[in-house]
Amino acid sequence: MAYSDKVIDHYENPRNVGTLDKDDSTVGTGLVGAPACGDVMRLQIKVNDAGVIEDAKFKTFGCGSAIASSSLATEWIKGKSLEEAEALKNTQIVEELNLPPVKIHCSVLAEDAIKSAIADFRAKQAAKRALDEG
Amino acid sequence: MSDAFAVLGLEPRFDLEPAALDARHRALSAALHPDKFAGSAATERRLALGKAIEVNEAYRALRDPVKRAECLLAARGVPIGDGAEPRPPAELLMEIMEVREELAAARRAKDLPALERLERAMRTKEQATTAALTQGFAAAGGAVELLAALLPELGKLRYYRRFFEELEAAMDELST
Repeated sequence: MAYSDKVIDHYENPRNVGTLDKDDSTVGTGLVGAPACGDVMRLQIKVNDAGVIEDAKFKTFGCGSAIASSSLATEWIKGKSLEEAEALKNTQIVEELNLPPVKIHCSVLAEDAIKSAIADFRAKQAAKRALDEG
Repeated sequence: MSDAFAVLGLEPRFDLEPAALDARHRALSAALHPDKFAGSAATERRLALGKAIEVNEAYRALRDPVKRAECLLAARGVPIGDGAEPRPPAELLMEIMEVREELAAARRAKDLPALERLERAMRTKEQATTAALTQGFAAAGGAVELLAALLPELGKLRYYRRFFEELEAAMDELST
């Protein structure tokens, strides 16, 4: 199967590979996987006081499409509000990367990773508020 | 995919004897060999060739524990593949992320002892998962719910396989 140029570009020059401190209360971590193909994807966001994602990092062990999907996802959500990031749909990733039908699940995984990172961030904030309020 | 067990005329089971599988493949391949059909009509030759390809595909599938499990589940109507299987538990994903990162670090550092340590640790886990599947398939019989409950173990096996693929590539790099 041939990869699109954009997939190859993200695969060869992945954006925002790395880690953020998962114990930082302003960091949300999403860890998701596709059991049917043995892919694992970690996507992290750092959110500022204004609720804007100021940094995003990812690490994916999987096929080129999974790496490209998560790389593109971090690129897109940087500078976005949580609500905007949450509204991102996997179909936008499919369109941008020209993913073939058999690789659509890679974009679903990236969308899941964003949502789960946001959920983790919110859960941390809620826990922190509960603690502050005693 | 047609039922690989049926193609080879073998009883569907996860704990297939490799020797029995090899013997069956050899016997069928010999019977379907083009030399045997040299004097036959063209349609018959084509038929034998098509059957030989099918036999080879079935053999390759059944040699692989992941595909063998998939064949058994699919034959009983358990949905497998993208979106049909339960999400992997967080502990498994964390474990896999960790060992894959360790593997990548050992590969970069060309650290053979570290690669070998990782391989031993993961082989132990792979064996435990294969044993769990063997037991699970034997206990499930044809019960669909019991078979579906094996999907998480199958998922583990796929994650371990990906790990070993990268490990092999890392080992190849070191030996060249």
